[in-house]
Amino acid sequence: MNPVAQPLVQPRFVAPSMVSDSLQVEGLSKHFKGTDKAVFRDVSFSINEGQSVALIGANGAGKSTLLRCCVRLIEPDSGKVSLSGEDLSGKSGRALKKARNRVGFVFQKHCLVPRLSALTNVLHGNLAHCSGPRNWAQSLARQEDRQRAMDCLEQVGLADFAYQRCDQLSGGQSQRVAIARALMQEPSILFADEPTASLDPQSGELVMELFARLSRSRNLTVFFVSHHVEHALHYADRILGLRSSELQLDSPSHSESTASLREFYA
Amino acid sequence: MPEPSQIHPASPLLRGRFQRPSWLRSGLFALFLGFFLWSLAGAGMSLQSLIQGLPNMGTIVGEMFPPATDRAQPIFEAILVTFQMALVGTGIGVILSVPMALLAARNTSPHPLVRYVTRSIISFVRTVPDLAWALFFVVSVGLGPFAGTLTIIVDTIGFCGRFFAEAFEEVDPGPSEALDSIGSRPLDRIAVVQIPCALPSMINTGLFSLEKAVRSSVVLGLVGAGGIGAELAVSMEMFRYDQAAFIIFSIFILVYLVEHFSSRMRERLLTQIR
Repeated sequence: MNPVAQPLVQPRFVAPSMVSDSLQVEGLSKHFKGTDKAVFRDVSFSINEGQSVALIGANGAGKSTLLRCCVRLIEPDSGKVSLSGEDLSGKSGRALKKARNRVGFVFQKHCLVPRLSALTNVLHGNLAHCSGPRNWAQSLARQEDRQRAMDCLEQVGLADFAYQRCDQLSGGQSQRVAIARALMQEPSILFADEPTASLDPQSGELVMELFARLSRSRNLTVFFVSHHVEHALHYADRILGLRSSELQLDSPSHSESTASLREFYA
Repeated sequence: MPEPSQIHPASPLLRGRFQRPSWLRSGLFALFLGFFLWSLAGAGMSLQSLIQGLPNMGTIVGEMFPPATDRAQPIFEAILVTFQMALVGTGIGVILSVPMALLAARNTSPHPLVRYVTRSIISFVRTVPDLAWALFFVVSVGLGPFAGTLTIIVDTIGFCGRFFAEAFEEVDPGPSEALDSIGSRPLDRIAVVQIPCALPSMINTGLFSLEKAVRSSVVLGLVGAGGIGAELAVSMEMFRYDQAAFIIFSIFILVYLVEHFSSRMRERLLTQIR
């Protein structure tokens, strides 16, 4: 890879009045019990629809916690989060779960059910919208849902592996099945927590290229945490950086360089 | 040639190979040894009785051969009933064990109190021996295979309830958390994550349970809970050791076939894709 990578995704900075916010975070703070230091303090940013944003920071800087606080998988101490204009702050129980059903989540580990086929795992993405045996196994699913699951697998380039058990897939393929499962939700925003951390460099590139392609073709907002400054530069429109419990960087990726971002880890 | 100690000087942190055990440990070990020796007497171990009993054993074994096949038909029928009791009892027991185990497993139980109560019930059911359950059911529902089947159901819940719960607890939490994050319901997560992931272990436990049930249903007949055990008891009491030998041989064939079938099933089911 080039030391100074050029962004693959063309920046889409449009006049603020013309685009709607996909994610808006205001004054978010989190402090874990039993520790002196805040994980992060007073973090505010917003992500436009269709934008691809990378969140970088050293180990333990609180990137994953911030990502999880955005959908209240971890409860923030204070602050406000809105998803597509819908305030999540006051919601609890079922209302919160309903608000989350258009948020796709891809984790560091693929988190698939290993004994089931790729197609069945993708179908599980539909559980975000409707409950019941129809989404438990591909053999019980409605024809249109099976077709949609197959389309999602096609989009990640794994249609040929639909009936393969997930424990027989490679790490990169499994992560792509996890992305297909997130697509099955028809998400408006996709969160990814170090999606390439457990992959070899080549598989990691494939996964990141997939995110970039999906972001472009489906106008999907992508918010990903990464340790690879090259990935942030190459695949994101914009880079956020967490350091010393604060959001110290928020700039378009084309105005940053590998060297300037590496300083961020010092 | 340099001395080994010159190459690797002994680290002050390296302890000696053997260490003197503490006084407490030595005392406890001596106490255990004393109790074991006392227990030998308590268990009625007597070499003299064993030697005196040897001719009797020889006589009985002698009378067992050749095994008598005159009552082959009723014996085969009883063997079939024994197997049917084991199969139905295990089947129903396994089905009832699944909800019990879900309530008892840490990661699927709705509340710690529910978990505690269910665990206690499963422990109680397991601790009471199957013969005691058989006596209880014989008195409650009368002599016959139904009492035996009820015994096997209860025994299977005690066995499978515990192991299914452990299998659910060992499931990787990742997939379940991933589906929780998108707003899925707990019942869906149980159906698509917990049960498929725990299935190999559940099949294993279920088949072991069937083997266990076949062996125990043989004994249940001794207290009148149906099956081949009653035939065996009658033959022994009437000193028809040749008939008893035939029954024991039939039991051996049944148990062998069930164990053989269960291990073949295990291999096939575990490699199947769902």
